[in-house]
Amino acid sequence: MGSLSSSMWIASEALGADQGALDATSNNIANQNTPGYTREIPILTEAAPTEEGNVTYGNGVVLQQIQSVRDQVLEIQIADQNQQQSSAQTQYNALQQVQSLFSDPTQGIGADFTNFFNSISQLSTDPASMPDRQAVLTAAQTLAGDFNSTESNLDSIQSGLNQSVTSTVSQINTLTQQIAQINLQVGQMQKLGEDPGSLGDQETELIQQLSQLTNVNQIQTENGLTLTTGNGTPLVVGGQSFALQTTNGPNGMTDISFQGQDITSSLQGGQLGGTLQVRDTVIPGLLSQIDNLASQFATSINAAQASGYDLNGNAGQPMFSDTTGAGAASNLTVAITNPSLIAASSDGTQGSNGNVANLLAVQTQTLPAGENPIDTYANLVSQTGNLTAQAQAEVTASTASLNQLNDQLGSISGVNVDEETTNLMNYQRAYEAAARVITTVDELTQSVLDMGSGVTAAP
Amino acid sequence: MRVNPNYTPDILNDLFQQQAQEQTYTTELATGLRVNEPSDDPSAAAADVENQALQSQTDQYLQNTSNLEGSLQTADSTLSSVVSALNQAISLGTQGANGDLSAADQQTIAQQVQSIQSQIVQLANTSYEGSYIFGGTATQTVPFTLDSTQPSGVLYNGNAGVNTVEIAQGNSMQVNLPGNQLFQGAGGSVMGSLQQLVTALQSGNSASIGTATTQVGSALSYLSQQRVFYGSAVSQLNANQSYLQQEQVNLQSEQNTLVGANMATAATDLSQAQTAQNATLAALAQIIPQSLLNYLK
Repeated sequence: MGSLSSSMWIASEALGADQGALDATSNNIANQNTPGYTREIPILTEAAPTEEGNVTYGNGVVLQQIQSVRDQVLEIQIADQNQQQSSAQTQYNALQQVQSLFSDPTQGIGADFTNFFNSISQLSTDPASMPDRQAVLTAAQTLAGDFNSTESNLDSIQSGLNQSVTSTVSQINTLTQQIAQINLQVGQMQKLGEDPGSLGDQETELIQQLSQLTNVNQIQTENGLTLTTGNGTPLVVGGQSFALQTTNGPNGMTDISFQGQDITSSLQGGQLGGTLQVRDTVIPGLLSQIDNLASQFATSINAAQASGYDLNGNAGQPMFSDTTGAGAASNLTVAITNPSLIAASSDGTQGSNGNVANLLAVQTQTLPAGENPIDTYANLVSQTGNLTAQAQAEVTASTASLNQLNDQLGSISGVNVDEETTNLMNYQRAYEAAARVITTVDELTQSVLDMGSGVTAAP
Repeated sequence: MRVNPNYTPDILNDLFQQQAQEQTYTTELATGLRVNEPSDDPSAAAADVENQALQSQTDQYLQNTSNLEGSLQTADSTLSSVVSALNQAISLGTQGANGDLSAADQQTIAQQVQSIQSQIVQLANTSYEGSYIFGGTATQTVPFTLDSTQPSGVLYNGNAGVNTVEIAQGNSMQVNLPGNQLFQGAGGSVMGSLQQLVTALQSGNSASIGTATTQVGSALSYLSQQRVFYGSAVSQLNANQSYLQQEQVNLQSEQNTLVGANMATAATDLSQAQTAQNATLAALAQIIPQSLLNYLK
């Protein structure tokens, strides 16, 4: 049989449940702009009923739990897109610096080549002219200087990237430590069927930050997540995090190792992967092409010099220092300082320009690298342009895709103020009604009590 | 259906893209170039490098052409003076071959021919900007010196070398004739025939004066044939100059096609991007204040 006290109890339980629901709503509204926040909904269920004979009495409402509305599949996709986007962005930023070295067709190595050959062509009209000879030397010095500075600029972009490796790795280590601290707790709550709530939000947010730095694989285990790098090096296992180490490699670059093993080349994605890609693949590739160009060009000009005679009738000396291998472009210098040493003559007389043709032939001659000097340089321009354009396209594509995923996630987990306001009013009304029930029951109880004391003398 | 309540990142991203586009079009309008960075169009940027190289090379060919014109014209006008001097020598020789002349008159004529001889040696030693133009490739040595021990009366100190200069891609031209070919050629030696005329005049033998005069005549016609080289070289240079100027125009128009901006399109694109941006901003201003809270008392 129903009783006033059970009604009272049901109403007071309802007050509690509504307060809990109001708490959830209030928390949602408070965190509407918090990054990584997942909206929470109160899960209200009916309390177990009481049966009496063939009457079943409902026992009110129970706030079962406050649940975060999340979509783990989407979160993993976002993490993956994050690492792609951030890798592309890092590469794009670095490549923009690289391509700026090749962007002005009126300056730099390409224009220097043409100016150098033009000065030789000019000399052919007056082979004994000292000003014309000086002009050839000056053009050669400018060319060598631009070879030096292009290479040193690439070197400094590379070492700038190298410096960021150390700081990125230490950020990764800090993040994995923070994640490990939360991870075990989240895992245990999940095992017990509890909602990790804001702890889960924190962990997801930290994993997203980690993904921006490097490619992270997530594996769900009984003890929370296991995070590894793309090639399986563990970063977080349960409550334990594993730090990556940085060591100085033999080529002056920072290597990344895990428990003594060099894993630099296997790291991909994220800021770190993008940095390593440009530092270890793109720039070394360009440097070796520039080195080859410098050394093959110098060799060809020196050979042409040797086939002629200088203004004093002596056999031509090398115009450029003999330079090969890594750093050839940095080491390229003009070996002669006296303009009369330019070997324009083919017969030893001062007025002969017979060897100019041999010097000029280098302009159109195919170098061992496969093309003539200016085409080789043009090829470098198009390579840097292509790499930058690719990175740019990848940034655009991955940003669009990331935005779309975030939209999708937002549509599931985002806080909608209108929705929360509506809920707020609902729970407010419910609370007010439950409070009214209590007042009513109280009045009824009073009436019942009054029944006993109601024997009054008739006037 | 639930939608993402936080649309600001999307709208901001749109705004950033519109701003980036506006920047691109503004740069195009400011520089007049469609390709400002290699990544704007890598293959056009590479082709532009080659185009600029060709343009600058063409400039140099034009420079070579005008440099050569000076020395070739000097050579041509020098030879023209030699021709008139030789004509003078021929008329002196014809005069000297006249048997009625006294020995003294013949000596006078011989002296006049001698002075023509040294005048021609001087002409043959003409230099242009510090280089002797008739010494072959030995341009820093005086080509001819008077030397009575030589059968032709002069010693050639030059050589038989010739220079060629590239005046357009794949087009080289010879730019000099060596002095020994011009003045001591097998087809008629200017120096030799003059020396012979002087000797004949000094000896007073009318017959040998006549023979020597005829030889000066054939040396003259041989020299005139040689001189054609300089005349045609100068006209080749002129033709080359107009060819190179046309080539420059072609290269510039090619460059414009490669990397030049279409100003009309860029201006239209810019104003479209601005319109789009304004629309986005207006939408944003409308949406942000919208909330249920506005309607609650």
